[in-house]
Amino acid sequence: MKETRREKTFDAIEVEVFNNRVSSIVEEMGANLVRSSFSPNIKERRDCSVALFDATGRAIAQAAHIPIHLGSLKGGVISVLDNFEPEQIKPGDAFVCNDAYLAGGTHLPDISIITPIFYDREIKFFTACLGHHSDVGGAVPGSISPDASTIFEEGIRIPPIRIVQQNIINDDIMKLIIQNTREPEDRLLDLKVQIATNNLGAIRLNNLIENMGIESLNKAVEDLLAYTDRRTRALISKLKNGEQSFTTWMDDDGVAGEKLPLTATVKVFGDKLELDFTGSGPQSRGAYNIMTTGVMATVAYAIKALLDPELPANEGLFNSISFSAPKGTILNPMFPAAVGARTTTCQKLSGAIFGAFAQLLPVEKTMASCHDVLAGMVFSGKSRKHDGTYVYLETIGGGNGARYNSDGMDGAHCHITNSLNMPVEAVENEYPLLVKEYTLIPNSGGAGEYRGGMGVAREIVILEDGTTFSGRADSYKTSALGHRGGSEGGNCRIVLNFATKEEQVMTPKQRLLTLKTGDSIRMETPGGGGFGKPSDRNKNSLMQDIIDGRITFETVKEFYGEQLLEEVKSLI
Amino acid sequence: MNTSWRIGVDVGGTFTDFTLFEEKKNYLFNFKTPSTPAEPAEAVGNGLIYLIEKYSIDPSTIQYLGHGTTVALNMLLERRAKPIGLITTKGFRDVLEIGRQTRPNLYNYEIKRPEPLAKRSHRVEIPERIDADGMVTLPLDHEAVEQAALKFMRDDIDAIAICFLHSYKNADHEIKAAEIIKNSFPNAFLSLSSEVLPEFREYERTSTTAVNTYVGPRMQLYIQKLKERIAGLGVKCSPYIIHSNGGLLTIPMATKFPVKTCLSGPAAGVVGATAIGIEANQKNLIAFDVGGTSTDVSLVLDGKPFFTIERNIAGFPIKSPSIDVSAIGAGGGSIAWIDDGGALKVGPQSAGADPGPIAYNKGGQDITLTDANLILGRLNPNALLAGELPMDVSAAKLTLKEKIAKPLGLSVEDAAAGIVKIAAAGISRAIRSVASSKGLNPMDFSLFAYGGAGPLLGAVVNEEVGSRVIVIPSNPGTICARGILLSDRSFDFVQTVLATLENNGWEKTLTAFKQLTCKADHWFKLENIPVHSQVVKYYIEARYLGQSFEVRVSPTISPRELTQEQFVEAFDTEHKAQFGYDIPNRAIEIVNCRIEAIDRNNKPPIRKNLEPSNNAQPSQRSVYCGSFFGWKNALIYNRDQLSIGNSLKGPAIIEEMSSTTFVPPNYNVSIDNTNDIVMEIIQ
Repeated sequence: MKETRREKTFDAIEVEVFNNRVSSIVEEMGANLVRSSFSPNIKERRDCSVALFDATGRAIAQAAHIPIHLGSLKGGVISVLDNFEPEQIKPGDAFVCNDAYLAGGTHLPDISIITPIFYDREIKFFTACLGHHSDVGGAVPGSISPDASTIFEEGIRIPPIRIVQQNIINDDIMKLIIQNTREPEDRLLDLKVQIATNNLGAIRLNNLIENMGIESLNKAVEDLLAYTDRRTRALISKLKNGEQSFTTWMDDDGVAGEKLPLTATVKVFGDKLELDFTGSGPQSRGAYNIMTTGVMATVAYAIKALLDPELPANEGLFNSISFSAPKGTILNPMFPAAVGARTTTCQKLSGAIFGAFAQLLPVEKTMASCHDVLAGMVFSGKSRKHDGTYVYLETIGGGNGARYNSDGMDGAHCHITNSLNMPVEAVENEYPLLVKEYTLIPNSGGAGEYRGGMGVAREIVILEDGTTFSGRADSYKTSALGHRGGSEGGNCRIVLNFATKEEQVMTPKQRLLTLKTGDSIRMETPGGGGFGKPSDRNKNSLMQDIIDGRITFETVKEFYGEQLLEEVKSLI
Repeated sequence: MNTSWRIGVDVGGTFTDFTLFEEKKNYLFNFKTPSTPAEPAEAVGNGLIYLIEKYSIDPSTIQYLGHGTTVALNMLLERRAKPIGLITTKGFRDVLEIGRQTRPNLYNYEIKRPEPLAKRSHRVEIPERIDADGMVTLPLDHEAVEQAALKFMRDDIDAIAICFLHSYKNADHEIKAAEIIKNSFPNAFLSLSSEVLPEFREYERTSTTAVNTYVGPRMQLYIQKLKERIAGLGVKCSPYIIHSNGGLLTIPMATKFPVKTCLSGPAAGVVGATAIGIEANQKNLIAFDVGGTSTDVSLVLDGKPFFTIERNIAGFPIKSPSIDVSAIGAGGGSIAWIDDGGALKVGPQSAGADPGPIAYNKGGQDITLTDANLILGRLNPNALLAGELPMDVSAAKLTLKEKIAKPLGLSVEDAAAGIVKIAAAGISRAIRSVASSKGLNPMDFSLFAYGGAGPLLGAVVNEEVGSRVIVIPSNPGTICARGILLSDRSFDFVQTVLATLENNGWEKTLTAFKQLTCKADHWFKLENIPVHSQVVKYYIEARYLGQSFEVRVSPTISPRELTQEQFVEAFDTEHKAQFGYDIPNRAIEIVNCRIEAIDRNNKPPIRKNLEPSNNAQPSQRSVYCGSFFGWKNALIYNRDQLSIGNSLKGPAIIEEMSSTTFVPPNYNVSIDNTNDIVMEIIQ
């Protein structure tokens, strides 16, 4: 039954129905990508995303996977539109790209496949998906070297190019890409999976066009974006007018030197919002720079999380929100700056935006700082499965910030990533590595009426000589801040041969450390900040934390005071 | 003449439903009694006492008693059991808490992970290690296990999960640890991960084992009481518990693996829907059960429900084969509201039964889906439940106008129709995602609408789905209890192969099936199942080498008659159907061989003795049929007066005790041979 459409600029019912339709398409594409992929980083850690765009590159829907990926997907679609005349693009074509400067990417391992969808001989939409491929060549296994000085060291640069021409995969291009990586077979298979995923989305969209008719569909897209815009404005209007700033710090720029600030200034005027990142540190000499598309994705994430988690992830979000960062800073770097390790910068930037908003939002919407780091470990050595090398990439969650009514989450990712860990049993099946410990770190959660979440330690033992390790940590010097009287969370550490005579705390940025059989590497991530005064903490909660080994007596004494310690001791 | 009774019991949160069937005389009765949540076996016993007396049943002639239960599910949802203990490999006690290190919602920090089922201090690490090849690299520390047992005794922890790394490869340490604990703590409920889920991925295995342990003691007690009550009534047969996969679990199996009953009730509903569909000659169904707060969606292809391996219940991943039921938060009590952007939303908040919809006059302040249907005249605006529950529609209209219609600039009926449409769109999205995730087009299926509110929404849901036919069974509210009567006695036998075809995989597969067939034959003998009712189904779960998720191929003939080439072709086809591509020359890895042994004899046809008649005397009322049709004068039928062969045309409403069917003007209705309502769209 087709009901006649009411002639209105905005239909409160249709918009909800349509959002359901497009969301189910991207959700299905995402499930397909994860379930049929080959490389552990995509199939086990789900480090991938999908989104749907209109013919002009406006985002219509994104499946809830990894927020930062929206930047590369959007950038990729725009770069296809910029690099090709419409008449050069034919039905059955698909494009591949990853480059930060040529294709709107945020770092090279994120390879996008972009597929135009035609109707009546015109491009109407794009389906796009992205996988974080665990190696794309370059100086180090995993392709992310904290101290890379240019993007040329970070692997193969792919501008937007046609990888599928009228339904036939271009094997020449494919070979060029995969043979520039350390795991050609995984790259080949997963790129094919990505191509198939977009085709599946195309089938679903074609059905939608047939069912709705292209005109209704176009109208529905406009309505959806207008609705998101309207909803965003309504949320901004509820904020206090004015200007608030907050600064978070990175230990260094990835190479060496002083702490580096990330400053967010939020300006609210009526239903408009501006984010000014002036005051943030200079361009990183290493790989910690964020491209504008990455800043965009970070802003989109923060706005949704802070204002309304149910806001649809589409272009409508940006009609009333603008952002800017001066050229030559870490948030707007100049070619050919390296960008591989941008995630930690994004995390710290999110922390700065959250901090600035905390002064504009009611207390129920604020939280203490999260660990705000993306601690990454990359192991590489001779593969068990095939000739050549394996690359095992792991990122480790930490403690999240406490809130006005609850402790922070222990051992979880925060902000712009939410990738899964690799199961210990999968690691040991796939690689000559042994996981010795995977645990929450006592005393790492910031003290407060509500405790910050606990950081995580993951320790890996090398089973084969010549294995290399590259690691990226931050927050050796800085910590997650508490809120309203709460204390700071713990710090990050990389430790070689933990709890042995050879124990050695390593510097936070490790590049190609060569290890021998029996060596171990332990990564410890920071805890989250506490919320409210520690003296207001509920005694039973504190007692349970002690019993559960989340906090020791010494730490209770130091942060919660001797009196509370004695009271709690009497309860145990 | 001797009688032979079969009884299905579904214990729900509010009511315990019974369906009785007498095989010789073809009697079929339904009965409802309030549930007794504190001691669920009591309602089962009370109901049986009542029924035995009412129908003069000789308890020894009860041949079959099947039972769907939500005891395990509710315990988990409400966290009513005591925390458990966990024994695990040194260094890994936080696996249960960190999980996969993700936060449950990307953007919403209010949504937390659930508290782990075992407190951190009760997750005890034991020095021991088995490597990925199943070799012991560090022997089990017996003394540490003994110490752990003592600690649990001291702390009154009597349910203990044991989960060591790589125990799916080598279970020795888990078995040994269990023996040690039993010695010092004989009454503890123990659950071994190598028995509950012998598969890799430590978090999912630990979580499933923890859930099994958590619900174990209480389930054990419940089953014991149930057994005693039933035996006390003189019933000779041993009851079965419905497995989440729709099959039947014996009492010992359900006691050992209660995690397998988490979706007992909904699974029975799907079994019922499947069986009714087959009788109605509708083998491809999308079934949806709309209740007060939620809707369960499932899919039946070629007379078989779909299954899933992994589910998340109350935030805990549970890996156990179950009928694939997707639940979404849309039901009769779902509340309508306008968000900050001015879009109309329905749910997930629900007014529940108390205070309920505004029209119930029990203090409800929010417009619900039920209010909208009353305002539209689709539900009887005077009274529901055959007159037992009077309605106040004017109050609902007033609130709808103020809270929804006016702010959106809509008429009252368009706003109400919008609420129904949005609730239906949510259900359609679930339906499309259930179908499309399996590579199927929902338009190729018939809709099967059940539960109290399903028949009311069927046609509206279908606006988005586009099926040709909607089937509405008789007594749509009792499908779960009826399904229990129809469940097959069955048993799954699995063997893991993990070999590529190049590497003798096919030979190993054939050997595995040979062994599995022996096991199935043994089971048939043990259960005295006659040859003519034995059914065996074969499944081969395989993947391209390097993938993590399997594709299931179900050959219709015994794999022993299948060539390797035929299998490869079937696998590639299935892979392409599910994922949109295949890799013709890629190595294929056989993961699991599975046999399902089924007893088909236990299933009598369920139908009342029905004869065509023509005594329907419809009344009339005005019903809003959407903005295209507007208000229409619809005929209002009482379902009891409709019988086989009757047909009618929309707009119409068909009312029965516990449900109401809305037939828009563009549908024809016929009553089929088994008394189902079959709605067909007029092309």
